[in-house]
Amino acid sequence: MNDIIIAGIGGQGNILLSRVICQLFTNRGFDVKSAENIGMSQRGGSVVSYIRVGDNVGPIVPDGEADILIGLEITEAARNINKINKDSLIILNDRFVKPKNSELEKQQILKYFEKNFRKLTIINACNIAFKLNMPKAENITMLTLICKKGILHFSKEEILTVLSQVLSPPMYEMNKILVEKVYEKY
Amino acid sequence: MKKVLMGNEAVAYSLFINGVNVAVGYPGTPSTEVIETLKNFKDDDFYVEWSTNEKVALEIAAGASLAGARAVATMKQVGLNVAADPLLSLTIVGVEGGLIVFVADDPGPHSSQTEQDTRNFARFCNLPVFDPSSPKEAFELIKPAFEISEKYKLPVLFRMTTRVCHSNQSVEFEFKREKKKVKGFVKKPDWVILPALSYIKHVELKQKLQNMKKELSVYNKIEGRGKIGIITGGVSYFYVKEAIKGYDDLFSIFKITIPHPLDEEFILEFVKDKEMLIFIEELDPVLEEEVKLILFENGRIISTYGKRNGYVPFAGELDVDKVKDILNRIFSNKLHIKENTLTDILQIPKRQAQLCAGCPHRNSFLVVKYATKGQDVVFTGDIGCYTLGFAKPISTTDTCLCMGASITMAQGLKIADASKKIIAFIGDSTFFHSGITGLVNSYYNMHNITVCILDNLTTGMTGFQPHPGTGKKIYGEEGKKVNIENIVKGIGIEKILVIDPYSDFTENVDKVREFLNTEELGVIVFRRECANLKSRKSYFKINQNCLKCKVCINVTGCPAIDEDENGSIFIDSVLCKSCGLCKNFCPNNAIEKVMENE
Ligand code: SF4
Ligand code: SF4
Repeated sequence: MNDIIIAGIGGQGNILLSRVICQLFTNRGFDVKSAENIGMSQRGGSVVSYIRVGDNVGPIVPDGEADILIGLEITEAARNINKINKDSLIILNDRFVKPKNSELEKQQILKYFEKNFRKLTIINACNIAFKLNMPKAENITMLTLICKKGILHFSKEEILTVLSQVLSPPMYEMNKILVEKVYEKY
Repeated sequence: MKKVLMGNEAVAYSLFINGVNVAVGYPGTPSTEVIETLKNFKDDDFYVEWSTNEKVALEIAAGASLAGARAVATMKQVGLNVAADPLLSLTIVGVEGGLIVFVADDPGPHSSQTEQDTRNFARFCNLPVFDPSSPKEAFELIKPAFEISEKYKLPVLFRMTTRVCHSNQSVEFEFKREKKKVKGFVKKPDWVILPALSYIKHVELKQKLQNMKKELSVYNKIEGRGKIGIITGGVSYFYVKEAIKGYDDLFSIFKITIPHPLDEEFILEFVKDKEMLIFIEELDPVLEEEVKLILFENGRIISTYGKRNGYVPFAGELDVDKVKDILNRIFSNKLHIKENTLTDILQIPKRQAQLCAGCPHRNSFLVVKYATKGQDVVFTGDIGCYTLGFAKPISTTDTCLCMGASITMAQGLKIADASKKIIAFIGDSTFFHSGITGLVNSYYNMHNITVCILDNLTTGMTGFQPHPGTGKKIYGEEGKKVNIENIVKGIGIEKILVIDPYSDFTENVDKVREFLNTEELGVIVFRRECANLKSRKSYFKINQNCLKCKVCINVTGCPAIDEDENGSIFIDSVLCKSCGLCKNFCPNNAIEKVMENE
């Protein structure tokens, strides 16, 4: 496994999540590269991050080569399927924000994923973060659950170490509590 | 320490480690994070600021450099146009301490008005330009960039593209600053640009470029021994490497890190045994043209593939798949480079760029739109988040050219088409950047337009940088606050109105309508802090009174309001910023406020 795509909309913390995952791999001794596409608006636009473990590659994952697709939002996950293949691992956050000019409904997209991909996991990170009173932390909630379920093999301690490296001290404190609670309850 | 750094951060770390004394810039995607990162570093011989525009920034850097300090000015490619005046003169005047002009180009473009290529700027102003392929390489090249600048007493361009600026890579380094002693300003006739001197220095400049070629050539590199040569640079180098994986015997790569000035000998050596050359680069055919000239001058004839014969696109950015497509076209698909991917792909329409939920600009635009209903009006727009005022359903931006042009284009429109009402929109940071001179002009030459300054108390588009109107300096510490109304009054303009876009919509419409009644130059300041800066205490929801008429959606276009599968209208409680705008348009009182934690 070496190529990961994270797709979501602006405001979901996609970039931070990608940064955290990069640092997780780096701390394990890997070389990583990543890049992102951000739309024009601060919030609400399409955002996609590419993470590549390995040094001698460009920052963008070529078509069909991603091993993992992490969808912070369902429509945006679907927008990036050209980057994955039938065997890719797909992890979706149960969050749907329909683009204004789109006809596709949530169920249609989910059916599409179910039909075409064998390795699909749906996680309700948005809801859990909201319940834990940190609606802005669906990204870290997602990561914690992905690791807890063993989809990415990083321990709670590794996550906390990276968060302390990447976040400001007050942000770290808040996220630490979140990670602990997610490990405990979900 | 091994840390994941974004390209711009890598540049910032390296600048600091290599003793930069003065760092100045104006925010612009994708260049912003260089200064944003540098501001986290402190030292008694280090100064960092956000300047009011790129010309100001470069001139400050130039001043510091003349006093012997190492300096950097950062900007995006369009910002370089603003700083072009001092830059071209600096090539004549020269520098003392190392001066790096960091410019971020935006092939794509992802968030720019143009796709211009700064490597061409380097050719135009006779300066060396560094073009790193990755954050790691950018980190390593800052040191030689300073050294070349100091040795040849010339500014050096450090050009990166979005995919290098905004990509991340693990970089290993020791965070230790090498201090540079600043010797102070020494008076010299050289520092005064005069026509007679310019001629002499121009001759010197050409000589300097000749002299530095060899030295710079060590940063270029050759890989492989295949008979087909691929000449590339910047991030395209990695795309090429990946695309030809498995065909290594066939190809060899010439990676050009310093596109200008190019060392002839090095090129001739590389092409000696080549049967064919392919140029893979983004934006302008800079490498292609430079190399072809060298080949021609040396009587070398070889078949080439690139932009000039249509094999490589002139516009947009490249990626691995595009490079594979290019190679497949050149070799008529004989190489079978591209594998098949998924066939059944869902088509999803683009998410239209739009103003954020609760953005005060939405309220301001709609106030002006309602106040001018039924009248013949042209709305000129400017560069910033509020350029999105053109998007439906707001549709209150008819033109957008470059920083500050809303005010000046409005005057041109007024001269040519006096019967129309012309209303210009400009943001606060843009007003300081280059709006003020335009406003002075409209007063002096008596052009009767209305200027709406959309003051959200920050530079929203690039990530909330402070500016003179905020009075906060780069670390958030107190500076002197420049009051926009005082500037307007100081010019001599008396007709001024200040409005809070979140306050009562109908009242605001009345005020603006009355303001627009008289045909004279006037300024409306709409002031309310950016919706992303403040946490909300309440949000809005739709209650059972809803008629599903969708007026709220159709008028405001607020991304927080939507219709679900069953046609029911709902407000996304995560997105809503509680601006209250939608409530004004609901015919049946179906939108109500909810206090947080209720
Ligand atoms: S109050 Fe209405 S217009 Fe304002 S952010 Fe919330 S949903 Fe959008
Ligand atoms: S305007 Fe009012 S009644 Fe009409 S759809 Fe919106 S909330 Fe419902």
